[in-house]
Amino acid sequence: MSFASVLLITGILMIIAGCWCLIRTFHMLKITIGIEVAMKAVTMFLILAGYKSGSVALSQAYVITVIVIEVVVAVVGTGMAVGLFRKYGSMDVRNLTRLKG
Amino acid sequence: MHIIVYLCAGLMLVCGVYAVMSRSILRSAIGLAFSSAALSVLLYAMNAPWASVLELSVCSGLVTVIFISGISLSHSPKMEIQREYQDYERSRHLPMLLIIIGVLLAALAIGLGDDEPQAAVSTALSFKEVFWNTRQADIWGQIAAILCGGVAVAVLFREERQEKK
Amino acid sequence: MTTILNICAHGFVLGPILVVLVCNLFSRDFARRHFIWFAGVGALWQLFSAIAGYVAMRSAEYNVFDFAVLWNKDAPGAAYFELTPQKFLFLFVIGLVAFISVLIAHRTIDFNRSSYTNLLMIIILGMNGMLIVSDLFSLYVFMEITGICCFVMIAMFRSRADLEGSFKYLVMSELASIFILSGLAFIFMKTGSLRYADLSGFTPDGLGGLENVLMQFALVLLISGFALKTGAVPFHSWLPDAHQSADTSVSVLLSGVVIKVAGIYGVLTIATLFNDLRPIRASLAVLGLLSIVVGALLAYRQNHFKRVVAYSSVSQMGYILLGISTGTPLGIIGALAHVFSHAAFKSTFFANAAALHEQVGTLEMDEMGGLEKQMPITSFSSVIAFLSTAGIPPTAGFWSKLLILLALWSSGQHVLAGAALLASIFTGTYLLRMQKKVFFGKPRPELADVKEIKGTICAAEIILTILTLGVGLCYPFILLYLRAHGLI
Repeated sequence: MSFASVLLITGILMIIAGCWCLIRTFHMLKITIGIEVAMKAVTMFLILAGYKSGSVALSQAYVITVIVIEVVVAVVGTGMAVGLFRKYGSMDVRNLTRLKG
Repeated sequence: MHIIVYLCAGLMLVCGVYAVMSRSILRSAIGLAFSSAALSVLLYAMNAPWASVLELSVCSGLVTVIFISGISLSHSPKMEIQREYQDYERSRHLPMLLIIIGVLLAALAIGLGDDEPQAAVSTALSFKEVFWNTRQADIWGQIAAILCGGVAVAVLFREERQEKK
Repeated sequence: MTTILNICAHGFVLGPILVVLVCNLFSRDFARRHFIWFAGVGALWQLFSAIAGYVAMRSAEYNVFDFAVLWNKDAPGAAYFELTPQKFLFLFVIGLVAFISVLIAHRTIDFNRSSYTNLLMIIILGMNGMLIVSDLFSLYVFMEITGICCFVMIAMFRSRADLEGSFKYLVMSELASIFILSGLAFIFMKTGSLRYADLSGFTPDGLGGLENVLMQFALVLLISGFALKTGAVPFHSWLPDAHQSADTSVSVLLSGVVIKVAGIYGVLTIATLFNDLRPIRASLAVLGLLSIVVGALLAYRQNHFKRVVAYSSVSQMGYILLGISTGTPLGIIGALAHVFSHAAFKSTFFANAAALHEQVGTLEMDEMGGLEKQMPITSFSSVIAFLSTAGIPPTAGFWSKLLILLALWSSGQHVLAGAALLASIFTGTYLLRMQKKVFFGKPRPELADVKEIKGTICAAEIILTILTLGVGLCYPFILLYLRAHGLI
């Protein structure tokens, strides 16, 4: 099995783990952690893609931008989770039932 | 060199799954920090030093600090009893599922055969030149993202003031 | 002429940043009282520079205009921003909907005005950026910026419903971003570059086993990610919650431009870059048809005014996806025309929602009724918007739906054309139900002192009604103009 395949499989498994966390968990901060875990796998995909197609410098430029966006998303996600905690007193997603239909 | 890469990839996966499945949210955040550190070593081993250092300092440092401050801002007396969230029970099947999918994908990869060797590393441009000379649109994007983050923090973390119910 | 084009082009990127900087220089109270000048000027600048830029480009006979903001674009390999005549329509729609949003916000937003101005300008910058870049990765970056600003705008008042809708939108949107970025990484693995110029000559045949699978997987991921951002079925679950819980001026932006620029324009770019692949067109057609039918059926059961309008958005996005799925120039023209008319009539509905919320105080349709005599302007604009959505002449919606149906028929998809025609009957029914419940019927005694809305929201409704009717009446001239330029 080639080098790229091992890393690809690891990355896909990590994305599945992150998306599972996104969908199934009840704790709001852990949903944000799931997003971050999946984004790490995508970072690895980007560097692997650069390694295989020859231009690691270009994929480093991509990764730097993705890291900046990742931080802003983490900040916004945490801010919203803390805001919801202040309203409801707990971080449980099952409390969010006001919008129905 | 490949051994280090495989080791770091495996470590990253294990720490990631631990972060997903952990019962306590604090350990989950620490697991994410270790995962970022493993990814940083992996990036360095694949000839990407700039990305590696940024990943280590920003993701493994700043993002973990943000999460831990979020956890401490939401500290409730019941934090020790995490069982109500039932996270471990709900994701108990995750490792088994991942192993099965991993084996299937490995069989698929072996069945599809080996792909061609990697292209030669084009040493035409260093990272500095690539970043500052060809990705200027991304630089504007990063400026806008940082502005956006600043406004987001100002809006979301303001103190309570005449809010609608 | 080129200087006008240069000013307009640079203004798309530098204008919003300038407004943000100027707006933050003044003290908070001054910015609060005069915010409509800052935000309104920003939106109007976008509107007029879109029109002026288009006129300048046409008269100078350019087809493509490359420019760079504060860097040298002629250095080898440098990035550049690109403007083509088709993009000016999207830019114009952004300016129009932003202006309507400012008019509504003048009345409904009270103490968050400077944050609103900042966020509005950054959303405009993000969407302009999405439209003018020439590289797939920069498209992703600006799309993320638009998304993040949208989350914050929905959650601006930090009430329970706001944060909940915004959180659900965040989760689904980040899932879409992860899919899109993974797809981009897989494409990058093979082609070594993500620019439009390098990708457009690329055919995926002749690849080995693993790489072929990876390319197809990448395209699947990209289409699903952008469809999630559009709110197509089965990825539509975030859309009604986000629309209902946001303040009305933000819902106007969300439904009027964000799902179109972030979602539809992304799908259009992918479909144009990889045009020869039949599975892409088939999958878009399936998504479109599902969205039309499921959106209309789900809208039938709602009781909240804004939720009906949100499901109606899901349904109309299906029409646009059907138009793109034909792959012919007529289909794409029909899709773009529907983008414009959808922006017009959907903004009218949201302006009505704002008027109802201001005057009546509630948006539950069971508590309203018989408001036709008391709110004549609102009722009339709502009827015009309903006619435009259902595709009845002489409104703009009739012509754009006709173009899409003609494109479907002429490219051989008779079944799809017939199904789309039948589905417009559904569209008519749920909107008629909404009209009946809110405006027609017997006047209720507890709503006896409800008066007509005045001020900027009234102005917004009147502008939009004139636009819908006017463009609908002038459409034959528009079609002749397009034919003279060889686009049909």
